[in-house]
Amino acid sequence: MSVAVEVSEVTKVFGNIRALDGLCLEVKPKEIFGLIGPNGAGKTTALRIISTLLLPTYGMVRVFGLDTVKNADAVRSIISYLPEEAGAYRYLSGWEYLEFMAKFYAKNNDELREMIREAAIISGLGERLKDKTSAYSKGMKRRLLVARALMSKPKLAILDEPTSGLDVIHSYHIREIIKKYVREHGVTVLLSSHNMLEVEHICDRVVLINKGRVVAEGTPQELKEKFEGENLEEVFAKVVKLA
Amino acid sequence: MLKGFRNFLLKELKELARDPKILLGIVIVPLILFPVLGGIMGYAAQSAKESAAKANFVVVNNDRGEWSYVFMKFLSDSGAKVFVEESVELSDEKLLELLSKYNVAQVLEIPRGFSSNVTMHAKDHNVTASVKFYVYVTTTNIFDTAKSLSIDVVVTQFNRALAPDILNVKKSTVVKGEVKRGVDPAMVSGLMISQSIALPIAIMILLVYSVQIAATSVAMEKEEKTLETLLTLPIDRLTILFGKLSGSVIIAAVGAVAYMIGYVYLMQSLISGTSTTFAATVDLASLGLAPSFLGYILLGISLFVTMLSALALAVILSAFAGDVRSAQSLVGYIYPIIFLPTFALMYIDINTLPYALRLLLYAIPFSHPIIASKAVVMGDYITPVLGILYVSFFTVALMYAASRLFATEKILTAKLRFKGSMKYGKTTEEF
Repeated sequence: MSVAVEVSEVTKVFGNIRALDGLCLEVKPKEIFGLIGPNGAGKTTALRIISTLLLPTYGMVRVFGLDTVKNADAVRSIISYLPEEAGAYRYLSGWEYLEFMAKFYAKNNDELREMIREAAIISGLGERLKDKTSAYSKGMKRRLLVARALMSKPKLAILDEPTSGLDVIHSYHIREIIKKYVREHGVTVLLSSHNMLEVEHICDRVVLINKGRVVAEGTPQELKEKFEGENLEEVFAKVVKLA
Repeated sequence: MLKGFRNFLLKELKELARDPKILLGIVIVPLILFPVLGGIMGYAAQSAKESAAKANFVVVNNDRGEWSYVFMKFLSDSGAKVFVEESVELSDEKLLELLSKYNVAQVLEIPRGFSSNVTMHAKDHNVTASVKFYVYVTTTNIFDTAKSLSIDVVVTQFNRALAPDILNVKKSTVVKGEVKRGVDPAMVSGLMISQSIALPIAIMILLVYSVQIAATSVAMEKEEKTLETLLTLPIDRLTILFGKLSGSVIIAAVGAVAYMIGYVYLMQSLISGTSTTFAATVDLASLGLAPSFLGYILLGISLFVTMLSALALAVILSAFAGDVRSAQSLVGYIYPIIFLPTFALMYIDINTLPYALRLLLYAIPFSHPIIASKAVVMGDYITPVLGILYVSFFTVALMYAASRLFATEKILTAKLRFKGSMKYGKTTEEF
């Protein structure tokens, strides 16, 4: 399979607002693909459509060849989605939360234990996993959720602002984990972020969208050269201004 | 079995059972509320008992001996107004005639041999005298229990003045135009309260709590921002819906047990003074005072399908709410259609209502367990069966609507549509 995610001419209309307007993009297998853009550009809507939460008004999305509308159940079994504003069940402990989630993916008890063990390492929460998630700080909760998203080693991980709310040390840790998962387990990652340094640091390719359309696409290096920016932040500002 | 159902249900139960608000509302409150209510009503019943002693009596004096007049003097002195009939054979027909003639609810018969028994008691303590006491029990007066106890006050005074245990009372009940000899009016009155008042209230509270639990369960997923993640898991949307409904049913059932425990306390307070072994020796169902086994089964099914319909309705409404508080407000629209049949049918026989009102009450699914509870006591099984069929049809339609809601993106976007287009223009970040 040469394409992991294929978004073709996707438009999404909410009432009188056109959140996406003929969006086209392709994500290759085993790459980390960044989706960037200003607030309201349509990033979250795009990720929600790819993760089967929303239906496109027009156009088509395929994940590893599976149509996200016609084969939604099959798509859900190979993806993992981390929303930007996600929470955990407040009356469950971290362990219970991970166990609940892992049971949907694990084929047997050994796999279940392995997933939870792996998630415990990713989250770095240690003994705090025994506490109810309502007692977690924002950063701790985010680490738990990132661990949940990666522990099943999905074919495609869709991460909306994965390091949102994390301090420098934990952000670095999570970025390293993401890279490791791509390298060792062949996971394809589609992420969105407002942190341009993060995007530049971990993404193989980047697409910049504005008003629901793609306005620039390429590797971070290609974009910097094309728009004569020292870093991706400068590129972003120039492209949005031009658009 | 739907894939992942057990896992999801377990999560639901943990979440609901650990929520202190639910624990408080569904377990603690009824365990405190009912006994307190029972205490208050018991106090009120005591006052009613004292005033009942001053009520009107018909005394049928078949003894006409010296002691019968002494006893009647005790009765008059207690404040009661006494109508006297003498030498009347008290058949069922005659008893009903006397109740109607004097417009009273209490008839006391002093049988032949009363005075001689009182006299003989001085020589042989094993000989005691007795009076027969008949109480007309209605379906609407919750203090008919007090009438049953009113005679005890006079008998106690009589025994205190003469000798302990010299006089005892044999009580009987007149209910629904029939004389039930040997059946204690206090117990019948308690059953009447349970059928006409307490059961509808218990059903109402159970429905309201079930609705609240289901609404909270769905809205909490939105409020805690867990719904998006949940909807992208490899789990069928129907599994999520049935998991939510099952979790709510189970927690509501636990609540029902707590309510029943509290309810038993309440009933004990109301029928205090009645021998508990007495109830066990009388087949209430055969007397037409309690449902038969089939009646209980039909009542249970009726309550179950009605609860499912309320839960499905709550799930649909709460899908339009963004948080728990909004969900609670939205399901508030269901409460009037739960309260209306409860209070209407508590005192009124549905068959006596105008046709249009009757039709309205039959159309409300939440009326049917209450209608069923009254019908099964009368041995009418057709009405509950028809009710169950109607509510089941209604429930299936609601479940279908709820499953459609869960199967599409509406479960996520319903709030936006509900709030109107103004919201779209303002929250561009959401895109």
